Amino acid sequence: MPWDFEFTKEQEDLRMVIREFAEKHIAPRIIEFEEKRMIPNEIIEGLAKLDVFGVVLPEKYGGLGLDPITAGVILEEIVRADLTFSLAVAYLVHTSWGYIASKYGSEKFNEEIITKAAKGRLWIGIATTEPQAGSDVAGIKSEARKEGSYYILNGEKAYISGIREAREQFPDGGGHLTLVYTDKTKKHRGMTFFYVPMRSPGITYRLEKEFGRKGWSFGSFAMENVKIPEEYRIGEEGRGFYIAMEGFDHARAYIALANAVGTKRALEIAAEYIKQRTAFGQPIAKFEGVQFQLAQHWAEAEAAYNLAYKALWALKKEMEGKINRFEVTKICAAAKYFAVTTAKKALDDAMRWMGAYAYTEENPVALALKAVKSYDWAEGALEIMLLIIAREVLGREFIR
Amino acid sequence: MSLNIIVLVKSVPDPKTPPTLKVDGSLDLKNVKIVVNPIDKYAVEAALQLKERYGGKIIGLSLGDHDNIDIFREIIAMGVDSFIYIKDPDYQRFDTLQKSYVLSKAIKKIEKDLGRVDLVLCGVESSDTNMGVLASQIGEWLEIPSISYVDKILEIKNGSIIVKKIIEDGFITLRSRMPVVLSIADTGYEPRIPSLRDTIMARRREIPIWKTSDLGLEFREIVLKTVRFKQIESKRLGKIFRDEDVDKMIDRFFEELKRDGVSLLR
Repeated sequence: MPWDFEFTKEQEDLRMVIREFAEKHIAPRIIEFEEKRMIPNEIIEGLAKLDVFGVVLPEKYGGLGLDPITAGVILEEIVRADLTFSLAVAYLVHTSWGYIASKYGSEKFNEEIITKAAKGRLWIGIATTEPQAGSDVAGIKSEARKEGSYYILNGEKAYISGIREAREQFPDGGGHLTLVYTDKTKKHRGMTFFYVPMRSPGITYRLEKEFGRKGWSFGSFAMENVKIPEEYRIGEEGRGFYIAMEGFDHARAYIALANAVGTKRALEIAAEYIKQRTAFGQPIAKFEGVQFQLAQHWAEAEAAYNLAYKALWALKKEMEGKINRFEVTKICAAAKYFAVTTAKKALDDAMRWMGAYAYTEENPVALALKAVKSYDWAEGALEIMLLIIAREVLGREFIR
Repeated sequence: MSLNIIVLVKSVPDPKTPPTLKVDGSLDLKNVKIVVNPIDKYAVEAALQLKERYGGKIIGLSLGDHDNIDIFREIIAMGVDSFIYIKDPDYQRFDTLQKSYVLSKAIKKIEKDLGRVDLVLCGVESSDTNMGVLASQIGEWLEIPSISYVDKILEIKNGSIIVKKIIEDGFITLRSRMPVVLSIADTGYEPRIPSLRDTIMARRREIPIWKTSDLGLEFREIVLKTVRFKQIESKRLGKIFRDEDVDKMIDRFFEELKRDGVSLLR
């Protein structure tokens, strides 16, 4: 296979655009994200003006129509500036599920919703998890019944990102791709995806005080007879589960990259610190015990970074029809598993090298460690990633 | 009213990673990343805001010897209408008068196609040589007024321009007839960051490359010669003033600065 680790000139140009914005407007304000539990409007508006919310969305609907690798380059710069991962969540969830929504959504949906999503006037999220069903997606209870040209949705979704932003912050609101049953008897073949605007009548919500990445809201919403036009159905009835699995692959690949880049950035910060800070008469960086840990984590973070790009490459190949679905799922699961486990170990050690100095709510390494803990479960638990890999390596007959 | 504006943009070694010195005291430019002179982006922003207010056309113009024309795409992405690069292999040997002479000849050539150029803008200085003389030299070559250290362009009316200029201890408002050359400081404008879409579109735009021989130049002898560069070492002294009255500490701080040869405005 011909292989090149270089990005294209265009990708590098786009990287510099985001880097300039991120260094100037994002990095100086991340503590504010945490304290106020929100991303300031001017940052969202600034990113919207730069077309950040339309990177992978189709050109036909106002997006840039770029591939997942290029979307990854942009994510890198966002994460490097914001180790709270709040903006990473905002960007990667919208990028993954916005793409899926445009791919399976109706023409009317694309014209009404994706055109606004591409301009950053509206945010698209994901809602599959329920109080009793997370990685076990088939355990959901929410349902929809058809009435004329509408569906009536009832149920509850829990631990969902971006409810407040989709209700209150984006100028045209936003909504979540929401997985519900349209036919419970068919189990996962009876699930359907809908775009549910968070400003719809019948939606009530509650926000949690999350442990990390506090700048992007996290909470639950209940649907009581929420009326959704049939054009907001994403894909055919009964295809929801499969579409969700495809969307998870996208999100997992971006999550993998965010974790790898966050780890690399945190290691840079920690390395700078241990070069300056002395103990027992020499910089901490001179102790081999610390050096070996740093080197090991660096090697793993670099591997995680490359595997994350392999996952994004696989998604690109899938868009071109050149790779099969199961192969993509396997690579994306491996990328997420490896990047998250690597990040947790590396950030824990990096924080330890920095001692009490790191044990504050303003230290970016500590903020990153809190953020990556969410990926133990977000977009599928790490154990589910292992099950997927095992299933694809061994064959389905070996999976219970 | 519609303005024809030329913005001069210099390519410089990336100030974030400045070049190292060779043993003979010359600059090692081999592995240096070339970027657009950061302060020139303020001039570009000034031009864009004038265009938005009064209409017109903006042409970017640069002189250099490298082949990396892609660095100018950022300026196109910001919104200039077109960009022309003058390439001369002898550029490194030019003194500032020669550079400004070439640029003024190019401005004359552009004027032939475009009609009268109303404004020539540039940054106050470049991050590599920090000479800050380009605006006045271009003004002399073109025989038009020039104003340096412009904080902000306030108004254009009846063929004249009103600007807020930085002086030693504040600002002064000046009016000039047009055409005029202005050097723009990094104080009154905030250069826009181009969007991803404009960045992609800028990749597809052609940047014409002119040769100095196309401009009908008569070269003067080189009057300025670079003998050698010297690395200035900077070191933090980490001096801490304490246990005194605050005003006294401030006085001592300034006294010591003065004693160390730091020139102070007041």
